[in-house]
Amino acid sequence: MTFSGTERRRQLVTAGIGTALTLVMGAVLIMGFRLATHMRASINALQTASALQAYPEEISRQINSLRDRLEVRAYSGQALADLQGTVTRFDQDLKQLSASGERSPQLGRALLLWHQYGPVIESVVIFNGQPYVDSDTAGSSLSREGREHYAAVKRAQLFASDNAKALQEQLAALATTLQRNSSDAAAHLRTLLLAGVLAALVLAAAAAYFQLTRSRHERAARDAQEQTRDILKTVREGFFLLDANYRIGSVWSEALTRMFSREDFAGLTFEELLKDLVPSATLATATKYIKLLWGERAHENLMKSINPLGQLEVTMDNGHGGKETRYLQFDFHRVMGTEGIKHVLCAVGDITSSVLLARELQESQENANAQLDMMLGMMHIDPLQLVSFLDTAETGLKLVNTILKDPARTDQEFRKKLAGLFRELHSIKGEASVLNLTSIASRVHALEDMVGECKKKKELSGNDFLPMVLKLDDLLAHLRSVREMAARLTALKDTIPGAAAAAAAVEQRSHKSAPPAGAPERPAVRPVEDLSPALQSMAARLAQDHAKCIKLTLSGLGDVPAPYAATIKDCLIQMLRNAAVHGIEAPEVRRAQSKDDTGVVQVLFHKVTDGYELVFEDDGAGMAPETLKAAAIKKRIITPEEAAGMDTRAAMALIFRPGFSTQQDVSMDAGRGVGMDVVARSVYALGGKIGVSTHPGKFTRFKIVLPSAEAVSTAVA
Amino acid sequence: MLYEQELKTFVEGTTNFFEVAAQQPASIGSPYLMEGSPAVHEYTGVINISGKREGVVYFTAPKAMLTVLLMKMQENDFSHETMRDLVGEVANTISGNARRDFGRDFVISVPSVLTGEKPDMPHRPGVRSFIIPINWRSHSAKLVVSLT
Repeated sequence: MTFSGTERRRQLVTAGIGTALTLVMGAVLIMGFRLATHMRASINALQTASALQAYPEEISRQINSLRDRLEVRAYSGQALADLQGTVTRFDQDLKQLSASGERSPQLGRALLLWHQYGPVIESVVIFNGQPYVDSDTAGSSLSREGREHYAAVKRAQLFASDNAKALQEQLAALATTLQRNSSDAAAHLRTLLLAGVLAALVLAAAAAYFQLTRSRHERAARDAQEQTRDILKTVREGFFLLDANYRIGSVWSEALTRMFSREDFAGLTFEELLKDLVPSATLATATKYIKLLWGERAHENLMKSINPLGQLEVTMDNGHGGKETRYLQFDFHRVMGTEGIKHVLCAVGDITSSVLLARELQESQENANAQLDMMLGMMHIDPLQLVSFLDTAETGLKLVNTILKDPARTDQEFRKKLAGLFRELHSIKGEASVLNLTSIASRVHALEDMVGECKKKKELSGNDFLPMVLKLDDLLAHLRSVREMAARLTALKDTIPGAAAAAAAVEQRSHKSAPPAGAPERPAVRPVEDLSPALQSMAARLAQDHAKCIKLTLSGLGDVPAPYAATIKDCLIQMLRNAAVHGIEAPEVRRAQSKDDTGVVQVLFHKVTDGYELVFEDDGAGMAPETLKAAAIKKRIITPEEAAGMDTRAAMALIFRPGFSTQQDVSMDAGRGVGMDVVARSVYALGGKIGVSTHPGKFTRFKIVLPSAEAVSTAVA
Repeated sequence: MLYEQELKTFVEGTTNFFEVAAQQPASIGSPYLMEGSPAVHEYTGVINISGKREGVVYFTAPKAMLTVLLMKMQENDFSHETMRDLVGEVANTISGNARRDFGRDFVISVPSVLTGEKPDMPHRPGVRSFIIPINWRSHSAKLVVSLT
């Protein structure tokens, strides 16, 4: 809400009306002053004119008195002096009246008459001689001067008697005119004063109106300010304005205080605001972005699309002395003024809940997708085989937990656990890969990664195992959900004839009680014959993953006696993996060597005189002793000196050493150096032997010889 | 699913107590998942947690360990009550550490103390417990984290 335009207009109108009324008042006052001055002059003139009216008669009377005195030879000095005084005063007053600006015709006529009086009166009043001469005989008689004086008096007396009335009438008419003029002026003044009072009233009314309007506007402005304060107090987003120096203005919403746990925002730069909350690289990017926002040419929508602060992870105090990670969303809007960008409005939202919810949703979605993929994958697996795997995997993970549980305090004791963990996990991962249970295989792979990281550390402690135990928990929970899924899937398959038995098996196993604590026994494994389709499937997957063509031929696996089933299975998985990754070359490489594009892996199990023999052969790249030695040196399994003293046979034996691998990078199928040592250990554990023969560029052949199954059973018993 | 940082907070709370109270840091052994019934020693300090996570965290220690700990703390009273107070204090430190790190997300109870090797431990079915051995000198106690 803005008041600036309305307020400006209101002020202009107020000023205009005020000025107009002031001018009117000024004009009234000036006119009144002039009128009053004029009235004063008129009144003075009236007074003078009124006083002058008596003079012609007075002059006539005094001339008569002078004549009488002269006739009776009485003292005439005083009468002459009185006449002189009266004439002088009348003359002065009449001249003063004329000088006052009065231009009425009566005055003109009176002046003209007085002018005619002049010579007649003059001859009387100028007399200063002795009018009488005294003689003893005749007594007092007029002197010559006296006679002349008397004659002048007589003339004056005659003139005055003829004109005094006329002069008096003119003066009376003048007085009447002046009186009328004064009355008119008084009337004008009254009107003017009335107009002035009216103007003053209008001015007062206008002032009152504008004061009222102003109060209303001020109240509205106060209300607006209060509303703005309420909005800023209540709104959940943090709002503030940035000036051209990237400094925060003096107003901001209270949410900002809660978000940043501070109150000193005024004058703070944007950089200072984020300095202690985000990494320096993020801070640098944010600062650059803010500078870009002030560029007139940068398009706002484009700027929005590259906003690096759309989801900013910050670490701040949690109010309990600790730290917490929160996610803030900064949104920027330019505030345009007449001369371009005036401010940048910054809106900060705490989107922690949304981000966490989105993550949970994504995880949930991924889990759902993974479950769906898994379910689809599980549909192709023999239920009995799946249950067997789940049992084996669970037992394997319990073994992992047992290894973890083994008390340890020193680096050596902790390190001792790693090899055992690798072996168990590798075995589970191998079986999961065979069954194409990628969600399990990838989880085990991640756990293997953690074990691998520990191996690289110089000093191990219990802290290093914390993430492992969490991952182990996750893996066990996942196995549980896979088992539940398998049970549901089997229930679904119940409708299919022949699947009922399998369903029963799954159901029975999924509800069986957990094995007792401690080192669990590995469950019995079915004959390996069932593994053939899984091995074919694994070969196909390996071929696809490593961009190779592989043909797997299996023979005699149906003759594997039960006591050897598990070992044979583990060996075949590992050797097939090795053949696919290291042995069989890429089609273009094979072509260059005049080989068929498709590599052949042959597996043959058969009975021999005093036991069994498993031959595993691929027509791949074979193994070069020098390559094996170099890889072993790199993995620090042997020293260069030891390598120099090794013959071909000893070099070949390196592949059975723990940690040996020619692969530089760890992948799902190779690179950990846990594999052939596990195979060899398993074979040795059964009293068997393992041998390898190879020809670089031609083939690699493993031959495993196992004693007769009866001998093993007896030994176990 | 429990996060590593959450687990570390409880572990740090425990090891910090030894560092501050006995001036001798404790180390943690190899953590593992609990199988079967809860493994406890004679004295157990328990805190209940609700909010973002639900469940219990408890520190359980043998009498021998607590005796040595009291000796290191220059205490002469080795009574049953003092032992109880001590495990309660450890649980309180764990609780304080958790409050500091988790803030309002977690609602943490006042610690309670259980004694005996077979106390009636609160346990939520279906919730897996993490056991972290706490090694101090030649003794070993356990920190058990059982949260959803």
